[in-house]
Amino acid sequence: MMFFVTVIALFPAMFLALGRAIVGPTLYDRVLAVNSFGTFTVLMIAVLGFMTDQTDFVDIALTYALINFIGTIAVLKFFVVGDFGYEEQRDQ
Amino acid sequence: MTHHFILRVITKLLIPLILLFALYVQFHGDFGPGGGFQAGVIIAAALVLYALVFGLNTASAVIKEWVLLVLIPLGVLIYAGVGVASLLLGGNYLDYNVLAHDPVHGQHLGILLVELGVGMTVAAVLTTIFFAFAGRGHRDANGNLLPHSALSDEIRNRKDGQP
Repeated sequence: MMFFVTVIALFPAMFLALGRAIVGPTLYDRVLAVNSFGTFTVLMIAVLGFMTDQTDFVDIALTYALINFIGTIAVLKFFVVGDFGYEEQRDQ
Repeated sequence: MTHHFILRVITKLLIPLILLFALYVQFHGDFGPGGGFQAGVIIAAALVLYALVFGLNTASAVIKEWVLLVLIPLGVLIYAGVGVASLLLGGNYLDYNVLAHDPVHGQHLGILLVELGVGMTVAAVLTTIFFAFAGRGHRDANGNLLPHSALSDEIRNRKDGQP
């Protein structure tokens, strides 16, 4: 029951994040919205796993969190630098 | 001082954990979700993260491109080799039961070796795809990666561009 309430409570939060990703005036609003949407997805996977007594879902949630982080870094690097292989130089 | 200090520290902190999780997924694949393909993808994700944060030249110093090009066929060879080994031991192709004296041990050994081959190939292929994708404009005529100082002005000036 408690997990079910959590799932219900997660839905509005996910829709709000999705709305910000669509509306977002700047790129950074969209990136932040997609990142929070991914975080909510991780929560959703974990809660659904515990709700259905499939604790293996925690592994999937962990993987999703890692991929979400790397995806955000990749999108930001692509839009700020414009090149995936660019090497940051030290400040002089 | 370096650029993106927090990002560098977090990345250095996170990469060992990602690799450890990949090994967990690899070797826990018999009992839960996971296996060679997923573990290979997670290892490739760790390498991609490293290349994104520290640059392509640094990443290709960590894992040389020729090593990746050796790992790709080696994984397939391990997979096919297990099949041929079980053929030679008197079973069907990929019949793990004949690999050891006890069929249960044979199953364990067979699935471990096959998943190892799959993991190696998948990790190497995905990293190679990323290197090929991110290395456009970073290579000389022979396909070798250029050092950062030798990159064209166009690429180096992109950093100043506003999104």
